[in-house]
Amino acid sequence: MIGGFLKIEGIEKSFGGNKVINGFSLNVFEHTLQCLVGPNGAGKTTTIDLISGRQKPDAGKVYLNGDDITGKGEHEIARKGIGRKFQIPAVLKGLTVRENLEVAYSREVNALRNMFSMRAKGCKEKLEEISGKVRLTKRLDVEAGLLSHGETQWLEIGMVLMQDPAILLLDEPVAGMTENEIGLTVDILNTLKRSHTIILVEHDMGFVRKIADVVTVLHMGALLAQGSIEEIEKDESVRAVYLGTEDAD
Amino acid sequence: MNQNLYHNKTLQWVFYAAAFAVIGAVPLISDDAFLLNQLAVYGVYGMLAVSISLCWGSGGILNMGQGIAFGLGAYCMAMTMQMQTQAEGTIPPFMLNNGLDALPWIWQPFKDTTTGIILALVVPTSFYLIFGGIMFTARVSGPFFAIMTLATLSALATIFVDLQPYTNGVNGISPPGSLNLGELEIDPYSSGAYWFVFAMLVACTVGAKLINQSRFGLVVRALKDDPERVRFLGYNVAVYETLVYTLSGLIAAIAGCCFAVLTQYVSPAQFEVGFSISIVIWAALGGRNSLIWAMFGAFTVQGAQSYVGDQFLSTWILILGFSFILVVRFLPGGFAGLVEMILGRFSKPQEEKAPSGLAFDNAKEVAK
Repeated sequence: MIGGFLKIEGIEKSFGGNKVINGFSLNVFEHTLQCLVGPNGAGKTTTIDLISGRQKPDAGKVYLNGDDITGKGEHEIARKGIGRKFQIPAVLKGLTVRENLEVAYSREVNALRNMFSMRAKGCKEKLEEISGKVRLTKRLDVEAGLLSHGETQWLEIGMVLMQDPAILLLDEPVAGMTENEIGLTVDILNTLKRSHTIILVEHDMGFVRKIADVVTVLHMGALLAQGSIEEIEKDESVRAVYLGTEDAD
Repeated sequence: MNQNLYHNKTLQWVFYAAAFAVIGAVPLISDDAFLLNQLAVYGVYGMLAVSISLCWGSGGILNMGQGIAFGLGAYCMAMTMQMQTQAEGTIPPFMLNNGLDALPWIWQPFKDTTTGIILALVVPTSFYLIFGGIMFTARVSGPFFAIMTLATLSALATIFVDLQPYTNGVNGISPPGSLNLGELEIDPYSSGAYWFVFAMLVACTVGAKLINQSRFGLVVRALKDDPERVRFLGYNVAVYETLVYTLSGLIAAIAGCCFAVLTQYVSPAQFEVGFSISIVIWAALGGRNSLIWAMFGAFTVQGAQSYVGDQFLSTWILILGFSFILVVRFLPGGFAGLVEMILGRFSKPQEEKAPSGLAFDNAKEVAK
């Protein structure tokens, strides 16, 4: 699938009078890996929620390839080509790894048509490819609830790959992974960004350095700085709010 | 490969075929009219348990008001049967007693048998479609949905008691003759009626199993785990929930029709809260995740009630309650869970017990 172009215009969101996102705007271009960084409570995950439809913005607009998707339902936004991986890995624990990947292959979402279909076309080949990529080939018949934490992360990445959306929203995909596993994720992401647009929320600057094309720094729900990783690391205002603690060491 | 034989799809179908062959063969062994009628009524209970297994076991939608579809189906069928026995221009005797002198409009369509039977299926299913649609688009789920079904069921029971001129109130409707389909008369105390109900039971169970195995069923099982996740994959969860709930309503409506045919009687007892909760208990005891075991649960509980329960009188309800507690505590998967566990013991263990595929792969690479 072709990469998507995402445009966010001045979105705002408050929870109980507390403004979490405050007029944030962002352009994410095709085939780019954009990292969303910022201190705790900066509004990174909320931004992802607002893009994917889990929350509706109070003001502002979100466009995907020029289409206004602001305030649409989660499933409608997903159908338009935005896939998402959650901060706390969300896999379907009662289903096997294979079934998780099969559900994620959501080319046909019509309930009535799915009632008369036993398996989706092309699903088997895709499943073989993806399960190899995320190293779960040997674990296909295991119940997803029995997987280790690292494997669960992989499975969810696998699910997003099965879904094959134009834009991938990844919320801390390497949390809890070992060095080895992180290395593998970097490889996958570097391949993926040739064909997809990726927005990635991350805390770990070391990981961001390895993969980011563009880094966007969020602070107090608004844009603080944006640029290449070198530019961001040199930026004084960013150092003050975010990297400041690293300098102190 | 998954080693537990319980999960082998081919074996499951073999088991279904064997079980239904045994159930279907009963009239060849016995011609006791009373027994056949009683077993056919168990078949109706089996259908109800299957319907609950479909929406609760597969979709995680706890429905404590399955009596809604069952009762509506049974009433429509009884009305059809009643009108078959009425001579042209006459009205059922209870209406005369309640001061009506003409057939009310709501009874008019039931003068025609085909229309009546279609209504017996369409009325309950439409009710479920609309009720489910309203609930699931508002994301009502879990215990809240269960409470809504209970409340709706009680309301219906009250309405059917209150509308005495049209429903004969608590006395219900007892059509004086059996159902005639064209030239064919379905005598409730015959092997014909038994096989008719048996065919419906097989159709409902196999149909529900095919649905469970389809992509639709996969999505339904997925949304039971985490509806939120499924939404982000692009599926409209409310549509899936409404449809699986409606399909379970259709099975309950078919059960209601069979019930009216077999017992030639319908009353607000079919809308009783206690009865609808029993259906849930049957499915839980048998194993809600398995259609056929839920059906066995209904057979076991109702069979035990008829043959053992009589000796214990009202203590029976205590025994039933206690066994329910035992199952919930020690056998959360019901009888099906027990079978799964036993078959798991006998099945070949997994080839390699790698705690983590990744760690295992890495270890192999290091070993090279």
